[in-house]
Amino acid sequence: MGKQMVMSVMSKDRPGIVADITGVIYQLRGDLADLNQSVLCGYFSMILIASFDDAVTPEDVVAGFSHLPSATKLEVVVKEMETPLEAAFEERSQEVYVLTVQGQNKSGLVHRIGLFCCQHEINILDLATTLSRGLYTMILQLDLSHVESVDAIRTDLARCAEESGLHLVLQHEDLFKATTEISLL
Amino acid sequence: MLRSDHILATVEMIQKENLDVRAVTMGINLLDCRGGGVAETCRRVEEKIGRAAARFVETCDQVSRKYGIPVVNKRISVTPIAFVGAGFDRHGFVELALSLDRAATAAHVDILGGFSAQVEKGMTATDREYIASIPEALARTEKICASINIGSSHKGINMDALALIGQTVKDLAELTRHQDGFGAAKFVVFCNQPGDNPFMAGAIHGLEEADLVLNVGVSGPGVVARALERLIQTRGRENLRLDDIAEEIKQTTFRVTRCGELIGRKVSEELGNEFGVVDLSLAPTPTVGDSVGEILEILGVDVVGAPGSTAILAMLNDAVKKGGLFASKAVGGLSGAFIPVMEDAVLAAAAGSGALCLEKLEAMTCVCSVGLDMIPIPGSVDAATIAAIIADEMAIGMINNKTTAVRLIPVPGKEAGEIVDFGGLFGASPIMPVRNVGKSSRFIAWGGRMPAPIHSFKN
Repeated sequence: MGKQMVMSVMSKDRPGIVADITGVIYQLRGDLADLNQSVLCGYFSMILIASFDDAVTPEDVVAGFSHLPSATKLEVVVKEMETPLEAAFEERSQEVYVLTVQGQNKSGLVHRIGLFCCQHEINILDLATTLSRGLYTMILQLDLSHVESVDAIRTDLARCAEESGLHLVLQHEDLFKATTEISLL
Repeated sequence: MLRSDHILATVEMIQKENLDVRAVTMGINLLDCRGGGVAETCRRVEEKIGRAAARFVETCDQVSRKYGIPVVNKRISVTPIAFVGAGFDRHGFVELALSLDRAATAAHVDILGGFSAQVEKGMTATDREYIASIPEALARTEKICASINIGSSHKGINMDALALIGQTVKDLAELTRHQDGFGAAKFVVFCNQPGDNPFMAGAIHGLEEADLVLNVGVSGPGVVARALERLIQTRGRENLRLDDIAEEIKQTTFRVTRCGELIGRKVSEELGNEFGVVDLSLAPTPTVGDSVGEILEILGVDVVGAPGSTAILAMLNDAVKKGGLFASKAVGGLSGAFIPVMEDAVLAAAAGSGALCLEKLEAMTCVCSVGLDMIPIPGSVDAATIAAIIADEMAIGMINNKTTAVRLIPVPGKEAGEIVDFGGLFGASPIMPVRNVGKSSRFIAWGGRMPAPIHSFKN
């Protein structure tokens, strides 16, 4: 089976980055398992997982990237995964909720929500923010599987909303799937 | 992957636009509850409802909390009671009503429907006893709703039953005179009554249904109204055509229906019961901003009742069905826009100002669900005139192969223009004038049957 590595790549965005990255993995006879990429304000970021032969080391992968004849420098971090790939792909939590946060833009908003989640043992699975005409919107996908009572979380959120002046709404993910996707559940 | 704009649209719908699931109704078959006499039958009825609905309200509340969507009403519908009480006299039926009322209270549901009979072709001796029991049964109970089907497209209209019903409505209102005739608000007369309608007062658990089934009534006039306002504001009135409006209604209804489908499926799963249908009706409440009348005004008539009202309602009703049908695995019940005058603040105001008259309402019911609903009329209107108004509405249903219904409240001692207020979801409205009172008694006196219409040569 070999070893699994997780890689993080950051660069100024340009055409051809995905071809470059996957080219390095292909040349090392790696097998791509999963990846996620995003572009924000002209900067490209990707996290990916691939398996390689036992002989390949993280240093070999980094070296592969450094030899790329690239117009922009790729910042790369490579780590060998501690848990096997099968375990990492365990079933997704059934208790995924979506929290929407809206309010006037000011510093510390994301931190405040991050802290709230941390204090309530809520893991943030996904976070996206947008700023439009001074209105800051955050949409978070949260795993509430370690939470004892969702009602208690809602009560605490209502208090947080009152103190911060933010508009906070917590709804189960199923609801958004039901209202926006063609197939149901 | 969920898109941010879709997430925000759904959040808006739930938080700011009165989205709720109007009713989750548990249908319970009572045919197996028949005992040797009235007392034993009542005991079995209460036991069965108690067993079937033991966790019903609690489960609805749980699912509602989990998804953050209010389930406004938790209700029970039962097998039309005239079948369950075959052979009983009127006193026996009153006992059955009291028994159902106790069962509904014990199950903590808001209302129980199904104190009903189906007499579209003929009446048995039991049916006549049942009809005679209605005024006392509804006056002495709190949570019981009654309905009767007196016509269908296949059997015609039972004019003997119709004449009895005109008088029953009068008696019912008179017996609840101290409540402005409120008893009549719990009784509805149907043509083509569906057996899976979750909405009251006309919910029954039809004979064609399984032992236990859950039906869901979605709502959403407020959601549709806000979506249309937003569309007009962002796109600009001058850049929109009517088909754009219809498209927006479809998409909004899709989302609203999906919420109902989700709640219905989850409650069914938790209870281990069969999930029946979603009823796609736009059901208004007296709350400001949750009105079907308001949608008509947003779409271009300055007041409901003005020319154009029927056309707009036809489009609204159709768009609601088109959006909802794809959103749900099974659609049933009444499925259309309701125009209950007392339950819709904008309709009530239009009735009060004289813009909306009974005849225009009748025309509007040709293109929507469900009929002349929750209309207070002067207590002085005679039984034959009430029966004739019902006959007109039944004929619309019979000829057009659709469900129509009538729920008139002849308010004892009050005249047109005076206000009647039942509070809560039943609402308030000025009493509507009835024209040509006392001029239909020769027609009602015929009795017999109005034959079923021809089902070919449709033009």
